[in-house]
Amino acid sequence: MQHRFSLKGEDVDVALVRKNGGLSYQGHSVTVDARGRLKLTLADGSSCTAHAAKVGDVWWVHMQGRTFALERIEPGASSQDHGDGLVAPMPGKILETLVKAGDTVEAGQPMMVLEAMKMEHRIVAAHAGTVVAVHFQSGDQVNQGAVLLELEDTN
Amino acid sequence: MEKVLVANRGEIACRVLRACREAGIQTVAICAANDAGSMFPELADEVVMLQGDTIAETYLNQSQLLEAARSTGAQAIHPGFGFLSERADFAQAVLDAGLIWIGPSPHAIEKMGDKMTARKTMKAAGVPVIPGEEIELEDEAAALSALEEAAQRVGYPLLLKASSGGGGKGMRAVTEPSGFAEAAAGARREAIAAFGDGRIYIERLLTGSKHIEIQIIADRTGHTVHLGERECSVQRRHQKVFEEAPGPTMTPAIREAMGEAAVAAAKAVDYEGAGTVEFLLAPNGEFFFLEMNTRIQVEHPVTEMVTGVDIVREQLRIAAGEPMSCGTVQMRGHAIEVRLYAEDPANGFLPSIGPLAVFCPPEGPGIRLDTGVREGDDVTPNYDPMLAKLIVWAPSRVEALERMRRALDEFVVLGTTTNVAFLRDLCDNEDVVSGSTTTTTIDDTWPQGWSPVEHEALTQAALLSAAAGETLGLHRPSRSGPSSADGPSSPFSTLSRRFP
Repeated sequence: MQHRFSLKGEDVDVALVRKNGGLSYQGHSVTVDARGRLKLTLADGSSCTAHAAKVGDVWWVHMQGRTFALERIEPGASSQDHGDGLVAPMPGKILETLVKAGDTVEAGQPMMVLEAMKMEHRIVAAHAGTVVAVHFQSGDQVNQGAVLLELEDTN
Repeated sequence: MEKVLVANRGEIACRVLRACREAGIQTVAICAANDAGSMFPELADEVVMLQGDTIAETYLNQSQLLEAARSTGAQAIHPGFGFLSERADFAQAVLDAGLIWIGPSPHAIEKMGDKMTARKTMKAAGVPVIPGEEIELEDEAAALSALEEAAQRVGYPLLLKASSGGGGKGMRAVTEPSGFAEAAAGARREAIAAFGDGRIYIERLLTGSKHIEIQIIADRTGHTVHLGERECSVQRRHQKVFEEAPGPTMTPAIREAMGEAAVAAAKAVDYEGAGTVEFLLAPNGEFFFLEMNTRIQVEHPVTEMVTGVDIVREQLRIAAGEPMSCGTVQMRGHAIEVRLYAEDPANGFLPSIGPLAVFCPPEGPGIRLDTGVREGDDVTPNYDPMLAKLIVWAPSRVEALERMRRALDEFVVLGTTTNVAFLRDLCDNEDVVSGSTTTTTIDDTWPQGWSPVEHEALTQAALLSAAAGETLGLHRPSRSGPSSADGPSSPFSTLSRRFP
């Protein structure tokens, strides 16, 4: 019973062990009650109830006021690599393209302006580099996850 | 007034539709196709589906709304907030159609809705305004260069605001001249997109100030009263996120002076109905008029909780020509509201979308939830990402904060990223705890952006929960329950055997 999840961009392998009618990992254990609720006992002896729901590949877990979104990675696969492509964080419309292919940009420099949910969002360079390709122009509609432009690291 | 059309959607439409139901008034909801599964149409007696795809074609389409009122025989229109609520031309069109407009006169909306005119009106009425300059040029290039010149006279840091703006749209803070040109162009573009009006004015940014606003109510019998203040200093990009009443540092003397100024402001435009006069309170006790919102406000519940006045119900009463029902108002206890947004606070507060796979709000004493969504709804990019307003009341401010912490810890939203954890952190913020918040509290506390405090054991426990869920198939809808296979049989299957 091993599962792999993506947590903040890193893959984490979780190997479960059957113990006292429940499942355990890293000294924490969980049982599931008749209504499918998760009853947790943490390694420090404290206990709590967790809410969990799976949407797509992502397990959403809430416990003690905290919410976690854990993407399950199919066995053998690793988390998707977007490379240096800058991806639309949500569906929207490109208002402005501030760079073109071949431009050099500095870290933090705005490269595109995206309008979504009635607000403007700037797509900024995470690091200094050279713009390799710009895939959309102002006025274009983009879907969530669309690669907007590609940036190559300056070495 | 027997039938009211609510010209809005989401949470505020629910609030108004419920108030009408309580008052025994028939209701009509208007609804765009992409809102068909929402909660608000279900709270109305009748629903008119709007034609069109964009907001301009639907909720902002005056002729469609007036036709909906005509065809359903509604006698009055309640605009809620946002959308057409502060459009004098729509208020006038409603009156011209022989209907009741639940709000102030078009004249009052015009005087206050246009921020430049409002400044002039307030100056004339003797209410102090913030130093600034007003640019009334329509031409893009001319406006931008005039703005740049005015910026030099006003001085930095400064604030660019859309004349017909609100909700932080078309607003930019500029700390130094180098960032001005881009900010001015962006503010204009956002203002044109959101309000169809690119006029902008510049004012000095008063740092270290508190945002305090006074709720007023005026009826046709000549009564204009204020319901005390709300403090809404905690803002992000000029969007309020944490509001409370009374103001934690308010003194009776300032409350009285500000209340008088607010009532004077309302009387200067012959105000009718509910409205809010916003002030900036400087650390030295001086206060300046910011703007008047000629509509019900998002944060009205905190005032309702401490005064016991149902503001929306008073709006209905006043619009029907009756006198307001509240007499001398006293504040009791303390109320706090936080705005739950579908956004990712750890990622620059980017709006998020997704299903509300689980939406389980807190309950118990002193808790009020105003929302337009429920479990199973989808959060789409079509509308504002505000999901709900969580309001708590307690006898004291300390207890109200304790209650808010408890309530936020109980609030479970799965499937869409929300700002719950950020709001929870806010409740432990030093300035929030001491009540010394200013309009820059969030930026000062998290200059590099907010991120949750890591908790290794809970993260491991979450991974365990997810892995257990996957192993046991908790996500499979056809699941019969882990215990039902080997546990006691369900009483319902027994019943169906006995009474086929």
